[in-house]
Amino acid sequence: MYEKEKKLAKSYIDGKVSRRSMLRGMASMGVTASTAGVLVNAAATQALAQNGFDWKKYSGTTVKLLLNQHPYADAMIANLDNFKELTGMDVEYDIFPEDVYFDKVTAALSSGSSEYDAFMTGAYMTWTYGPAGWIDDLNEYIGDDSKTNPDYNWEDMLEGVRKSCAWNGQPGGALGSDDAKQWCIPWGYEQNNLTYNSRMFNEAGLTVPTNIDELASTAAEAKAKLNGVYGIGVRGSRSWATIHPGFLSAYANFGQKDLNVSDDGMLSAAMNTDVSRNMHEKWVKMIQDSGAPDWSTHTWYQAGTDLGAGKSAMIFDADILGYFMNGGDNAEAGNLSFAPFAANPEAKAPTPNIWIWSLAMANASKQKDATWYFLQWASGPEHALFGATEMDFVNPVRKSVWADAGFRSRLDKNYPGYVEMHDISAPGAQIYFTAQPLFFDLTTEWAATLQKMVANEVPVDEGLDQLAQSVDRQLKEAGLG
Amino acid sequence: MQKNSNLENVLRGVAITAIILFFMFPILWIFLMSFQTNETILRVPPSPFFEPTLTNYRSLISGKLEGSTATLEIAFMSNLYNSLFLSVTSVTVGLILGVPAAYAFARLKFRGSEDIAFTLLSFRFAPPLLVLLPLTIYFQQIGLADTYGGLIWVYQLIVLPLILWIVRGYFEDIPADIEYAYRIAGHSFWATFRKIALPLAGPGIAAAGLLAFIFAWNNFIFALVLASADKQPVTVGALAFITASGINYGQIAAGIMLSIAPTFALALYAQRYLVEGLSLGAVKG
Repeated sequence: MYEKEKKLAKSYIDGKVSRRSMLRGMASMGVTASTAGVLVNAAATQALAQNGFDWKKYSGTTVKLLLNQHPYADAMIANLDNFKELTGMDVEYDIFPEDVYFDKVTAALSSGSSEYDAFMTGAYMTWTYGPAGWIDDLNEYIGDDSKTNPDYNWEDMLEGVRKSCAWNGQPGGALGSDDAKQWCIPWGYEQNNLTYNSRMFNEAGLTVPTNIDELASTAAEAKAKLNGVYGIGVRGSRSWATIHPGFLSAYANFGQKDLNVSDDGMLSAAMNTDVSRNMHEKWVKMIQDSGAPDWSTHTWYQAGTDLGAGKSAMIFDADILGYFMNGGDNAEAGNLSFAPFAANPEAKAPTPNIWIWSLAMANASKQKDATWYFLQWASGPEHALFGATEMDFVNPVRKSVWADAGFRSRLDKNYPGYVEMHDISAPGAQIYFTAQPLFFDLTTEWAATLQKMVANEVPVDEGLDQLAQSVDRQLKEAGLG
Repeated sequence: MQKNSNLENVLRGVAITAIILFFMFPILWIFLMSFQTNETILRVPPSPFFEPTLTNYRSLISGKLEGSTATLEIAFMSNLYNSLFLSVTSVTVGLILGVPAAYAFARLKFRGSEDIAFTLLSFRFAPPLLVLLPLTIYFQQIGLADTYGGLIWVYQLIVLPLILWIVRGYFEDIPADIEYAYRIAGHSFWATFRKIALPLAGPGIAAAGLLAFIFAWNNFIFALVLASADKQPVTVGALAFITASGINYGQIAAGIMLSIAPTFALALYAQRYLVEGLSLGAVKG
């Protein structure tokens, strides 16, 4: 089955025919674009099988994964047969909805269960899992030629993203330092930038904002000119997830930090500086004037759904949230555009704080070497390119995929401004939080303080002072400050 | 018998209509949502008029959900089956164990009976998360992790205390003299339990069983922690419609309609027993 098609795919991989000719040929044989993608990747996988690495070493072994229900997992599953063929291994997986996913991960890891060999995680979560001894340092695999295939190309991963997944376990330790442990492998990531509704912007005669003052004024203008639409979507629920997207990206752009690290490694609150107060005031006023009426309940889902349904004019949130909202049965599908955003007028470039969906290995796994075979394939360049060009495996973490003409033109065609936005903001994209074990507690309190400021329950300067005092107290109690 | 005036009848009618509207409106709205696409659900302003579609039900039943960017595999029907299987078997096991135990606690006063009854009740006090991690470790050691048998056992933490304590109250409300009279007629203890006590406490047992079923059906955390994805109940499965690429409101609404159907049907069928059972003993002099 598919013999002719496979030959055509191999010719494409060998560089004998162009991508366009290959796809046209496939279409003439009645093969859909997505099946063509799998076949092309099958040919790429065969090429991988010939790179001298013993891919069949763990043939017959079964690894089990714990996955979040996400387009990244869908892309991996669509390509899984190629991994099975390459290695002779089998892969089982459990998929859980995101709402309960991390409860399941925490329960599995903390009970020392060996059921799951590898799992999806966010980099922030590894700040808890790593020091607790629940996950492995993957440096020992990446650097071992006998365990990692020669085409893996670790250096191909975007530097800021790669380093953001590595931490030495010292509270306040710089991410990606020389002594850092690679707690997880980046898989796909999100930058926080602007996604705006170009139909509405044209209708109201708005221009794309380039700093926080323009953002606030454009949002206010959109609200005034567009009937029943609010100006700017940002998250507002009482959760750490309110701080990490647009808010921290803007905050970092002003050169501000969440915590100070002293020479002796002690941590203290850093959010009550004058620059921070000023930025907080602008942010709070922007939400009060032009944010969602029910902003304090807004999570990823509400921010995205409102943009897709035409209830908001723009979001300052994850780029891939805008990407998803620009398709499917969303009312505004096809109307969304993307722009890089540097909140500080004096900043040279954006500084998006990032969320990284990553892969980690459970320390309790009983077949770590075999599991690494899966991890290196799933995070390897072939699968990254397949997922990015044929599925919704965006944003890829590999430079080679971003350099791929097919991928760039696909994005350019359907997602105006996306490629340019990524190119401009990628150099400054990294995690801007200080790595430390109280991350979730402190950022949740920060979000709660923002809520009080927006509700006018506390003035910004007083709220920041209270927050800083509370953060310092908690750090001291934990022996970190 | 006192006759109501017309005004009273009208006022009563208005009050009943208002109460029905208040309680039924969310369910009615969800019912309407289940026949709409995301686009019509999210339009501004919302409207009760739309072109109905069966897409949501079709995708739930076929297991293929057309997402905003790709087709998503969902296991909603198997989640529904898991819920049904876990709830029915747990309540059955709970009734088999709990009803005789409740009778014993009600009729036979033995040393430590109150202590044992309170110990069983205390299962309801413990926050599930507190017991789940140790349970996970034990279950892995004895091979019960990720098995239906293990889950049904753990579900007894929910259903057994409920059945035991509710049914015990009903047994206590039945005058013991009726049973003594039957015993004097030469019948055994077991026959008395079966022929006299059980039928008299029937509505109470039905009410306890129904409540236990609803509690078991609504449980979320036990299967999430103790079992893999193929054994998850509908309470976990329903979250699959909230995805990174958007919330599928139509499928959520259809999922709600399908998942409340069994408890709704059971409640309608057993309504008489439920009311009778719950009010039994409430008017004793």
